[in-house]
Amino acid sequence: MENCSEDYRIQSFDVDTQKLLKTALKDPSSVNLEKVSNILVDQSLKDPLFSKEAGRICYTIVQAEAKQDNGTVFRRHLLNRLQQEFKEREETRKRSLQGWVCYVTFICNIFDYLKVNNMPMVALVLPVYDCLMRLAQPDALLNEEEVDCLVLQLHRIGEQLEKVNSQRMDELFFLLRDGFLLQEGLTSMARLLLLEVLEFRAGGWMLSSTAHKYYYSEIAD
Amino acid sequence: MSHRYRATRSDAHDSDFKHRSSGPSRWSHCRKRGIDGSLRSHSDEDGDDGHSDSRNSSFTTPESAAPVSRCGRQSDWGSQVEDEEMRQDVHRDMQRYRRRILGSEVNQRERKTSSGSSGSCDSREGENMETDEAVLMRRQKQISYGKNTLAYDRYIKEVPKYLRQPGVHPKTPNKFRKYSRRSWDQQIKLWRVKLHAWDPPAGCSQEHTLSDNIEELDLEDIVDIELDFPSLADSQNAPSSLLVHSSATENEDCSATPVKVKKTEDPDVAKGL
Repeated sequence: MENCSEDYRIQSFDVDTQKLLKTALKDPSSVNLEKVSNILVDQSLKDPLFSKEAGRICYTIVQAEAKQDNGTVFRRHLLNRLQQEFKEREETRKRSLQGWVCYVTFICNIFDYLKVNNMPMVALVLPVYDCLMRLAQPDALLNEEEVDCLVLQLHRIGEQLEKVNSQRMDELFFLLRDGFLLQEGLTSMARLLLLEVLEFRAGGWMLSSTAHKYYYSEIAD
Repeated sequence: MSHRYRATRSDAHDSDFKHRSSGPSRWSHCRKRGIDGSLRSHSDEDGDDGHSDSRNSSFTTPESAAPVSRCGRQSDWGSQVEDEEMRQDVHRDMQRYRRRILGSEVNQRERKTSSGSSGSCDSREGENMETDEAVLMRRQKQISYGKNTLAYDRYIKEVPKYLRQPGVHPKTPNKFRKYSRRSWDQQIKLWRVKLHAWDPPAGCSQEHTLSDNIEELDLEDIVDIELDFPSLADSQNAPSSLLVHSSATENEDCSATPVKVKKTEDPDVAKGL
């Protein structure tokens, strides 16, 4: 029951990999968890849908490993691989916009799912901010794909991020506000998304029902 | 066994324990996890994973000369999160330990008034608690290294908690009590020597024992916050020069096993050191 979405996502892998991932979910210590983490990161970086849901699979493996033998091997490999990709993020962005957007989606998803004693992992806070700040730069605001990713991430983890570091969030929103007000060349969709997220945060990470109706009925039309 | 470091250190027996420099040794072949934290398999021992020559960094008890915690120097995200987790766990343990001390201090007082025994240092336990985060984390790491052994798994499986006798069975040193660095390291060392009595017999399948034992780990054993008031068990683990608790023998439930007798109990272990 719980594994439904995981099973669904895992279908996109070849048979051997599916088998490996399923074993990793049930009996993590019997498989090479470094390999598993690399498979999940690789897939996340090329499949936008997968990058949105991979956090859940990772969470399940982390839980299973902790329960089995108190281990943290998978998490360690996963985070270190994420860090390696983080260092190369600018090259990734130049090479493939989709790969970059996938990376940001994935790291935010991991930030959202993996917790240490129910608290966000401190090690990821600044890197996640760095990614979002990059998406808020003038050149990125010109890409609807990047604006869309930025806004989606802020909807999901904005509140948590602000709780651990509100100063960075202020800086991020200065960029967004300036971009919305001053920058030329933004598409109307990008402007709409920015306006919505500005209002979303101003409302305490909530949209009033009227605001919600306004934004979403507009988009639906 | 490596004697490489003996020349550079005065406490030679100590260095033998901490600075194993190469190859699978008596101290490393029973590790559950390898350098990267992965569960080890037989192939690991053959060194075909390429770790055999850099093994010393993870297979020895960490010892930092500087007062700064070595945790701060880790720069990879995996280690950062692990340190963060350990720091939080240590603080949580500390709160639990405080609560247990407070709870039992009341009991102790009651017992004292009824039995009429003179005061001991027990009631000062709360004040004497080690609260330095760096120290606690360093100690926790040492304890974790000790528990990351097949011997420990076998021990907690073979000897249920209620059967463990002070002085006879290894007892995890209490990280919350004030000890000098030397005293603590000595306690850890003696604890680990004792644990080696449960090393798997040479040649037997480690995989098998391991998977059997994993199921047996209960939270109590992993967290292991023992509320131990000065007792003989403690005194024996501490070097005799540091026996500050002269009142230790007051402890009622201690069968007084003389220190010397205990030490000769496991001659094999002592020799194997």
